[in-house]
Amino acid sequence: MDNMIIVSDITSSYGRKQVLKGVSFTAERGECIGIAGANGCGKTTLMSVLAGVRRPKSGTVQYGGRMCRDRRVIREMTGYVPQEDPLIPELSVYDNLRLWYPDRKTLRQELEHGFLNMLGIDGFIGKRVDKLSGGMKKRVSIGIAMAGTPPVLLMDEPGAALDLICKEDIRKYLQAYLAHQGTVVIATHEESELALCDRLYVMKSGVLFPADKTLRGEALTALF
Amino acid sequence: MKRKLRYLYLELKKTAGIFPRMLLQAILLMAIIGMIAFCGVKGMEREPLAVRADVGVAVREDSRMMRLALAYVENMESVSEVCRFVQVSEEEGRRMLKQGKIIALVILPEQIVEGILNGSNPSVDIVFPSNSGLEAMLFRELAKSGERLLQVAQAQIYGAGDMAEKYGLTDGLSVMETEIDSSNLAFALDRFALYDTKMLSATGRLGLWQFYAASGTVLFLLMAGMALYPVMQKEPKAFTDQLARCGTGAAWQCFSKWLCGVLCMLLFAGMLCLSVYLLLAAGEKKLFRTEEGAAAAWQLRSELAGAGNRLGGMAAVGTALLIVAAVTTFVFMIYSAAGSGTAGIPAIFLLGAAMVYLSGGLVPDVFLPRIVQEIGDKLPTAYLIRAAGGLIAGCSGGTLRQCIGGMSAYTAVFGAAAWLFRKRSV
Repeated sequence: MDNMIIVSDITSSYGRKQVLKGVSFTAERGECIGIAGANGCGKTTLMSVLAGVRRPKSGTVQYGGRMCRDRRVIREMTGYVPQEDPLIPELSVYDNLRLWYPDRKTLRQELEHGFLNMLGIDGFIGKRVDKLSGGMKKRVSIGIAMAGTPPVLLMDEPGAALDLICKEDIRKYLQAYLAHQGTVVIATHEESELALCDRLYVMKSGVLFPADKTLRGEALTALF
Repeated sequence: MKRKLRYLYLELKKTAGIFPRMLLQAILLMAIIGMIAFCGVKGMEREPLAVRADVGVAVREDSRMMRLALAYVENMESVSEVCRFVQVSEEEGRRMLKQGKIIALVILPEQIVEGILNGSNPSVDIVFPSNSGLEAMLFRELAKSGERLLQVAQAQIYGAGDMAEKYGLTDGLSVMETEIDSSNLAFALDRFALYDTKMLSATGRLGLWQFYAASGTVLFLLMAGMALYPVMQKEPKAFTDQLARCGTGAAWQCFSKWLCGVLCMLLFAGMLCLSVYLLLAAGEKKLFRTEEGAAAAWQLRSELAGAGNRLGGMAAVGTALLIVAAVTTFVFMIYSAAGSGTAGIPAIFLLGAAMVYLSGGLVPDVFLPRIVQEIGDKLPTAYLIRAAGGLIAGCSGGTLRQCIGGMSAYTAVFGAAAWLFRKRSV
């Protein structure tokens, strides 16, 4: 199997505080990588670097063998689901999706037969975003990340503040995406989301190290 | 580019959706500001102050003829409107002059009436205080003008006398002198020609209504900025990050929000002008009980209807757009710096009100301390008020250029600052 993601020796800092200290890992096509760690350990910073929102101080990121020096490559190769939902609350779900999809036809197709249909967005497409529940918003966020069907999906704590039914729906969706040879990097400290992961990394004070994916509960948190 | 345009379209769509709510807030503001402006105008309206000061007259010789001559001069309409003569001794007069009780001391020499009659013309001394006030300056000018008129009249009489002697026409000399005097008094030496009617106003070149229409418009636009928060607020960081990673950076995000703000401000300004015009038209008689009030309302309505005509079409449109753009950019910068409505809305209210006050928009700047005048004159609101005044009442090309330069510079600075604040957060 070939590596879809190659992350080499990434460092990043906020002022004098170094947040990522030489982070490296790889992910194969169709693989789900879990990154666990305590709050403030650097998970979100790593996801921002992988998504091209933040430039690393040093180190490289490759997607599908392409070096990610500019945002265009990152944009083509990745979909990013940040912790907060990237939505305009005063507009409808359709308008929000329309911003990210290249044309109406593609969006309509996705809503009828594609991943957006799988996410069940069609049922509330005309609603204003500020009238949606947290779970609905998260689905729209995933729908936005999936615009252009990128081969890599980066998710930063997707299950935070969601009820069990929503988490289960999202898990099913991710399984489908992985089955379509998509690659997922998921930053979380929720055990239910770790069940999807093929490999697990733990981040502690900006350092990433591999861990046993079957670890749960205190055995896992002891590593944080 | 397609995504950028789509983002701009969505911002416009969002703005259109929330505009009715903002409009309601703006109407509320307009009502409050309208009341303040109305009270301000009513409070400022006064009868013009009459300048009537005391002039000391020291007579070295107290004769009946002198008293008659003084009474005649004092009761002349042109003199009695300006000053009142107080007969004093020379020493007393000089003391009163020092104390500021009189504005000038006229010292009349002995035999002055006889001197005038026999042509020896003894000179009259007029003493002014070292620190002349407005009244003293006025009297000095009056005396100088009178002196010049008398010089001309005397030159005519003496010239005519010399000519009559030269050509042997002395028989008709007395008739000729009488006719010259009559002609001078009738045509050339009109005493009222000494006075040049000049309106002095605390609001400068603008009338009171024009002044408050100009400063009220600027204040309204600034305060309407508070209603613009939903349009100009920062989007969630996740959203702006997502946009930035897709190539729609801080500059375009700023431009889109700014453009929506400008469009809203234009609608607010249009609504303000239309409301004031309709209100004045409907309530000319009812709202303003007096004929003068109704006339002022009619005049202001006419000026509003013809606003901009005095500057010329393109210049007026450009100036109006620049006023709106400058105010919107200022508001945008404040929201960008504040980061939230909780901090931004009070900041706009306080800064807006303070700047308008310092620039003499609430109380005319002549009533403010000199240091405040100097500071206020450099503030953006000073240029905005002047430009708005120019739209209503017209202004010189130099003033217009100065206003356009000032507003453009401030707009550029505010825009750059807003962009930097937003960029820092993207």
